[in-house]
Amino acid sequence: MSKTNSIIDFLEAGIRAESLRQKAIANNVANLETPGYRRIDVKFEELLAKALDSPGAVELSEVEPQIHQPQQTPVNSNGNDVNLESEVGQMVKNTLRYKAYIRLLNKRYNQMELAMDVK
Amino acid sequence: MEVNNTFSPVDIATSGLRAHSKQIEVISSNVANARTTDVGNGKPYRRLEATFKTEDDGIEGVSLDKILTDMSDFPRIFDPSNPKADEYGYVSMPNVNVPIEMMNLTIATRAYQANAAILKRYQQMVETTLELLR
Repeated sequence: MSKTNSIIDFLEAGIRAESLRQKAIANNVANLETPGYRRIDVKFEELLAKALDSPGAVELSEVEPQIHQPQQTPVNSNGNDVNLESEVGQMVKNTLRYKAYIRLLNKRYNQMELAMDVK
Repeated sequence: MEVNNTFSPVDIATSGLRAHSKQIEVISSNVANARTTDVGNGKPYRRLEATFKTEDDGIEGVSLDKILTDMSDFPRIFDPSNPKADEYGYVSMPNVNVPIEMMNLTIATRAYQANAAILKRYQQMVETTLELLR
């Protein structure tokens, strides 16, 4: 049971989520033509929003990214619901978020180093 | 706390890519079947047309509305030697006009490319912003 309010822990959870999402997107694209395949995604942002809504520190295990299958997307004639353009869009957003989190984390560490006056 | 959709231009451009990709699919079906005199029930192929719609209460991108069947008359060609010819020697052909389909294909391709360009430009724009964090 680890509770946190630290930006660093949230950013690290976000980075884990985007890494997992990258794998999910790669899996979806690989299965573009597989009959009956339903696309998978990662649940993270809703978990984080819900955890931040409740007062006090956030329980880290509640915001662990999870793979899930939305099952909401329309299915084509062979039961497959993967759309290449959608996956490309997801990949673009995934890359941008990943870069943002990594750089924000870097900035946070730089700030801490500055405060500690580490040479 | 609400989940913010920070990168909605990506989703909107993607909806454009999907919609125009579907239109190109419909056009390619029309062109492939431009001379299909019998779709299995004795009638020729009927031209299909994709229509689009959008949510009118927000910025939500485009989605496919319906794939309509073009109900205009089949043109009749005089070809007595054709096994499908009727008693007057006429064959009913699909109501597909290939030059018009090719023109629609150009329009749909340009629209698809425009959406892809928006996706790319937006990505470059956000990456430039992220450079500020270096």
